[in-house]
Amino acid sequence: MTPPLADTATAGTWHSQQTPASDPGFFGWLRLLLAPRFMASRNRYKRYSHAARVRLGGFAVLALAFAGAVFAFFYRALSYFLAVPDFGPILTYKLLGMVFVTFFSILLFSNIVASLSTFFLARELERVVAAPVPTRNLFYARFAETIIDSSWMMLLFSAPAFLAYGVVHGTGPAFYLVTAATLPPFLVIPAAIGVMLTTILVNVFPARRTKDILLILAVFSVALLYMLFRMIRPERLVNPEGFADFTAFLNAMQTPEWAFLPSTWATEIIFPMLGLRDGQPLFYYMVLLSTAGVAVMACEAVVTRLFDKGWTKAQEGRQTRKAMRPVWETVLRILTSPFQSATRVLVEKEIKTFFRDTSQWSQLILLAALIVVYVYNFSVLPINGSPLVTFYFKNVIAFVNLALAAFVTASVAARFVYPSISLEGRAFWAIKTAPVSAAQLWWAKFWSGLVPLLILGEILILATNAYLQVMPFMNWLATATLLAMIFPIVSLALAVGASYPDFEAENAAKVASSAGGLVFMVQAMSFIGAVVTLEAWPVYVIFTSQFSGTPLSHSAWFGVITSLSAVVVLTIAVFTMSVRHGIGKLERLEL
Amino acid sequence: MIELIALTKQYASTLAVNQLNLQVPDGEIFGFLGPNGAGKTTTIRMMMGLLQPTSGQINLGGYDLIKNPLAAKSLCGFVPDRPHVYDKLTGSEYLDFAAQLYSLPEKERNTRRERFLEVFDLGDWGDELIEGYSHGMKQRLVMASALMHQPSLLIVDEPTVGMDPRGARLLKRIFRDTADRGATVFMSTHSLEVAEELCDRVGIILKGQLIALGTVEELRSQAGRDADSSLESIFLSLTGGDTEPEAQALLA
Repeated sequence: MTPPLADTATAGTWHSQQTPASDPGFFGWLRLLLAPRFMASRNRYKRYSHAARVRLGGFAVLALAFAGAVFAFFYRALSYFLAVPDFGPILTYKLLGMVFVTFFSILLFSNIVASLSTFFLARELERVVAAPVPTRNLFYARFAETIIDSSWMMLLFSAPAFLAYGVVHGTGPAFYLVTAATLPPFLVIPAAIGVMLTTILVNVFPARRTKDILLILAVFSVALLYMLFRMIRPERLVNPEGFADFTAFLNAMQTPEWAFLPSTWATEIIFPMLGLRDGQPLFYYMVLLSTAGVAVMACEAVVTRLFDKGWTKAQEGRQTRKAMRPVWETVLRILTSPFQSATRVLVEKEIKTFFRDTSQWSQLILLAALIVVYVYNFSVLPINGSPLVTFYFKNVIAFVNLALAAFVTASVAARFVYPSISLEGRAFWAIKTAPVSAAQLWWAKFWSGLVPLLILGEILILATNAYLQVMPFMNWLATATLLAMIFPIVSLALAVGASYPDFEAENAAKVASSAGGLVFMVQAMSFIGAVVTLEAWPVYVIFTSQFSGTPLSHSAWFGVITSLSAVVVLTIAVFTMSVRHGIGKLERLEL
Repeated sequence: MIELIALTKQYASTLAVNQLNLQVPDGEIFGFLGPNGAGKTTTIRMMMGLLQPTSGQINLGGYDLIKNPLAAKSLCGFVPDRPHVYDKLTGSEYLDFAAQLYSLPEKERNTRRERFLEVFDLGDWGDELIEGYSHGMKQRLVMASALMHQPSLLIVDEPTVGMDPRGARLLKRIFRDTADRGATVFMSTHSLEVAEELCDRVGIILKGQLIALGTVEELRSQAGRDADSSLESIFLSLTGGDTEPEAQALLA
């Protein structure tokens, strides 16, 4: 017999439990409200298979390598600054200031985005809001989650930078202690401002619309900053000789500093600890600490007053949104007209869902910025010199450009093509249970990914080659090679995507940054590397022949044809194998 | 007709479905019952090709699902237990999409889409993105999409969960009409009331094995119950799930 659910000792206590239980206190509430998150993380780790733990280890190694690279960069830059008399401390100070300004800006934005989710959109919130949890305690728990979500990566990667400051300047433990004490209030201020802004925004616009608007704004800002940064040609800063005089160089190094920015206070606390000059670290620490305290209190006041209204509006935000219509429908029909019925309907679905998902289409803005900057870089290359040197450089660069353009295409495939199987999500059953073969689905995904990537890749290669005015052979070879390489790149992205599907993923960016995304990039890079290596010798031979004006010998022709044939064979082999592997994976995929 | 032969599904150390044999003829509404975790959804997901059986055979309308999956699937309409759909499509587009997957001609597609939107009370919502739909609306949309191509086998997992009484009544009528047209309806449900009212035959699965099969009357005699016994009491007696005394102790 099944054991009873309630024993006699607890029987009869049901009604008394309806009276309020004793208040667990501030930290009790905090612990209670944060517990599910930590338990979920712990359980997730416990349920990891051996392979998943190995992958996790791989990521840890990668993260360590990145942290090592950050340390090496700062170590090198700071060591160089240290060796520059008089000017060195100014550069060291400027770099520290730039680090904090950058952190502060990124933290502010990531807190706005993170708090939208933690305070208003997270799935588990319904349960918590319905429970008798005081708003103040809910605020502090969610505030802590927001800080963790938005700041952990920044903390992780800032650590090697600060370590480099300590090591280069041979500071004692006081520097590290002061840095460790400075970071918490420094993180709290952008979090408080971010949460306040979000709460106010959500009270004005529906939460989901706010998220879309923020996302588009962010993408636009990043694209704009990226283009501006590139177009001011920062490489000139490392070349003081290029400036009219030293004063102009100093002026160029000036970055705006505002005494009321928390990043300035943090710089003023830490910089004197390096022993390069005196300062008032204690004063600035008090300013930072008190501002953090006031910011949290102000944030609490705003959230406790506006949360209920904002939460209600966030629910209303789930109401309908009119879909786009007529012109698009016609464009879609024309675009998909070459396909057969089943493939066409799948391609149409791909395009519609892509352009209605802000987190997807907004990335096209970044992509456009990437193309502009990529092509711009070639327009400002210092390749004007003697005709012979120019000819040599232009063609060498054109060959390197082939590998670069292929790499860019593979990266874009990792972001857009690799996640496409996972993005079917839990709605995938509709296709899996329909009389649609895995091959039909595969080709629909393939063409949807291939066409935009072909356009992107060929724009990159043709526009840059036009700037470089490379010899016709090089132009033809680069264009044809990239065209051929994009087929296996897209195919590999889909095949690896089908091997590592994540139907629970909330967005494409998350899928792209998963272990599978990394596997795809390694495979794609190996393929690109092999093709470029195989083509290097024939290109060199033909180039030298044209350069010197001597015709190729028979044996050289044989070598050229053999190498280029090997490229064709490799490309076809990778393409067919990945198609076969991917379709097989799709067929066997279980939901 | 649906035919399951020695169907088995093993997950790591768990035997979810164990040598299941079952035949459901044309024109029958078959109720597939069992407690939580008994293997109902696993069986249905294998029948629809969403899970690969460890062993055994599934024949749908005479087609072996493993050897001839497209022919078998083209006969089926499926309604899963949770109505996950493409949120960024409109209801109207989703029905169109589903119908095109089954190669329904455009003219028929358009006529049925409009009619189904009206029948399933989604007429005013057809041009809205599905992300704005309630759970019940999504369920009705999924049901409509399963019927667009007029399947000869309708396989439904927990059809009435989350449906309002009006929606539930509509479903019952649709199931009966579908069966009366000669199609087979295979339905897993926890609603014994629905099963008793609607199903021509009922199968009860427990720990992956079919422990009872027949009409409600036949099950009564199998369970040794009198003629007035409800399907609920038969079900509880067969599955050993009568927790009434424990519930009373809890509420005391």
